[in-house]
Parts: sequence; C-alpha cells; structure tokens
Amino acid sequence: MAAKERKLTVARAMAEAMAQEMRIDEHVFVMGEDVGPLGGVFGNTRGLFEEFGAERVRDTPISETAFMGAAVGAAADGMRPIVELMFVDFFGVCFDAIYNLMAKNTYFSGGNVNVPAVIMTSTGGGYSDGGQHSQCLYGTFAHLPGMKVVVPSNAFDAKGMMTAAIRDNSPVVYMFHKGLQGMGWLGTEAGATVNVPEEQYTVEIGKAATVSEGEDVTIVSLGMGVHHSLHAAAQLREQGVSAEVVDLRTLVPLDRDHIVNSVKKTGRLVVVDEDYQSYGVSGEIIASVVERDMSILRSPPQRVAYPDIPIPFARHMEQWALPNAEKIVTACLKATQNDE
Amino acid sequence: MSSAVHQVAIPVDLWEEEVEAVITTWFVSDAAQVDKGDLLAEVMAEKIQFEIVAPVTGTLAIVKHQDQLIDKGDVIATITSAPD
Repeated sequence: MAAKERKLTVARAMAEAMAQEMRIDEHVFVMGEDVGPLGGVFGNTRGLFEEFGAERVRDTPISETAFMGAAVGAAADGMRPIVELMFVDFFGVCFDAIYNLMAKNTYFSGGNVNVPAVIMTSTGGGYSDGGQHSQCLYGTFAHLPGMKVVVPSNAFDAKGMMTAAIRDNSPVVYMFHKGLQGMGWLGTEAGATVNVPEEQYTVEIGKAATVSEGEDVTIVSLGMGVHHSLHAAAQLREQGVSAEVVDLRTLVPLDRDHIVNSVKKTGRLVVVDEDYQSYGVSGEIIASVVERDMSILRSPPQRVAYPDIPIPFARHMEQWALPNAEKIVTACLKATQNDE
Repeated sequence: MSSAVHQVAIPVDLWEEEVEAVITTWFVSDAAQVDKGDLLAEVMAEKIQFEIVAPVTGTLAIVKHQDQLIDKGDVIATITSAPD
C-alpha cells in the first residue's frame, strides 16, 4: 500500500516549520501585523499564538520602521526573530533597518555580529488588489548584498526552506507568493499543495531544482512562475517541444551552475518572472548564462516578465500584464524556431 | 459483511450568513484511504476558513472539487468504509 498522503498548503507548511523550530529553540519568536490570534492574513502563522502565547508570537502596531528595527536589533543580540511584513509593497518605510543595518552589520563588525533574522513577506498579484498590493520586488531584495533571499514554490520547499532560514546565521528574506498559499479569496494553484513530511527537515538555501526534465528549451522561473511554466511545458509537449523547468527556489545565493548546466543541455533559455522586467531577476539569469559561455545558446534568450508599468487594478488589464502559460508557450516556440 | 457509503457534508451550521463558500484545498486525493478524523479539506466563507475532517475511515470519492462553490449541507465527498 502506498504511503498515506500528507498534503499541506504552503501556509500550513510555513506554520509547521516555525512551530517545530520554536519547540526546540527558545530564541525563535514571531512578530508582525496580525500574526497572533488571527494567524496571519495569509494563514502562515495559524496555531502559533495558541501554542506559544503573546510573548513569543507578538502582534505589532502598523509601525514597520519600529518592528523591523526591533527585529534586527534582537537578532544582533542573540535572538532568532521571524518578522512578517504583510505585503512586500510596503517595505519602503523600513529599508534603513534592512539595507543599512540587517544586511551590513556582520560586515561592519568584521564578522563578530551575526544577524539571524528571517523576514517573511507576501508577493504577487492576479486578484485585483491594486499596484501597491500586487508587486513581487524580488530584484529589489536580491540586488543588495548581505541578505539571502528565498522564494518557495510549493509546500515541501516552503517548510524545508523556512527551517533552513531560521537556523541560518545570515539574514534571510523569505518571499511567498499569495497565489500559492491556499487562501481561497486569492485563488490557489493546486500544484503548490503537496505532500510534506511531518518531521523536521531542511531544504538547502542556494540550490535550484529541475522540476520537469526536457531537451529542447530551459524555462527558468520562481514562485508562481514555476507553475505557469509547468503548465506551459505540458502544452508544449503536445506540440512536440520538450521543455525543462528549473525552479530557482533561492535568488541569493543564486545557483548559476544549475542554470548553466540545463542551458548547456537544451541550448535555449526562457526566463519567467512576475517581477518587473527591467533591471531585475530575468536580466540577471540571462547575464549569468551569457557571461559563462555564450556559445551554449542556439537562439536569443527570451523573457516573460512583468512589463515596466504600475500594476493595474482593473482585472482584464492586470491579467493582460501577468505572465501566464500561454505567453511562456509563445516564448518557447520563438526560442526553438529561431535556431541557427 | 457489506461496505457502507458515508457522506461528507458541509455542516448546516458551519457559518451563519447566507453567503457563497468555496472549497479552497483538498488535502487528500480522490480514491485515497483516509482515517476517521483526518483533515480532508478547507472551505472558505467570507474570508474565514473552516476545516472538514473525515467522519469515518475508508476510501474517499471527491464530489465537489477545489475552487467549486458550495452551500451549507452540500455533500462534497463520500467515504466507502470497508466491510465489517
């Protein structure tokens, strides 16, 4: 008989990882807006307040500058805070604590001070929440040295990477896409809800994964884009094109070897990113391949990224702008048909 | 010595208002073996999530799928228990 299923949503997987680590490490605590009795607006701290109480699961005022500064200070002083800022779009008010303190204090102190903080935040749109609740901003965090950045695409990785993030002595920015959480009002990608072991485990930060093998074209993506890419790969298969899908899982440190090795095999590259196209993740992926060895590409790399516009509120306009499987199929066909 | 089919229904008092609800997640697949008390699904009404657990042990057959709209009292699955 097959092993019994134990599927979890990404939200439940995150909460389970935090609870298990809090049981064995008294230095771990959670802080943020509505992370307490409500369990987080995206469900990822459900059950923590009931088990660990208000001292270790702390609801904060809507004062990001204060609680982000408190988290960074607590981390430098030996605690392991997990701090949530509900929407990535609102980080602007507290970037001094992140960019100038959290990301730099280990360097400034000559390695004498660790800052083992985890910052978790939601990304992504698709449900008409407007331009200041729908961004990804992956590149904004990945750009500045001193922080690790992870973006899980499914519940298994979400649990293992949360445990790894809490145990890491570097600051880790943990970005989860709202459309993968298992919250009905956002719609949920079914492929994100997968079997998850009950016992603790870690998924190594800095390692990409090939989630679907192929021969003709490499699709590199992260978060929600991985699922769009898998749907596109299924459609391409029917058209006789074999696409390989690489889930980055971590943006910093970036697993460039994994990307290059896949492109070496397929000779073609399509990057899918829900963050803005210019000056961001998609350009970095392409540069990473081209810098290493231009000769492995048989056609110009393609990108399916968010156009450089504020995210529209109107549903038909937002859906027009978002990456989707259809756009990825078109990009892959262009890559495979433009061969020399 | 016969197997019995049990209904998995949304309790009629799960939420108060007359609002649309939706199945947000199935935690088990169609035709899976489930034990009494296992978490089967989450449903959401007015942004509140509710858990649906297995009333008996047996083989699950899903009737209403993820993202389908549901009402109180709806049968969302059946569970066929093994012969006594």
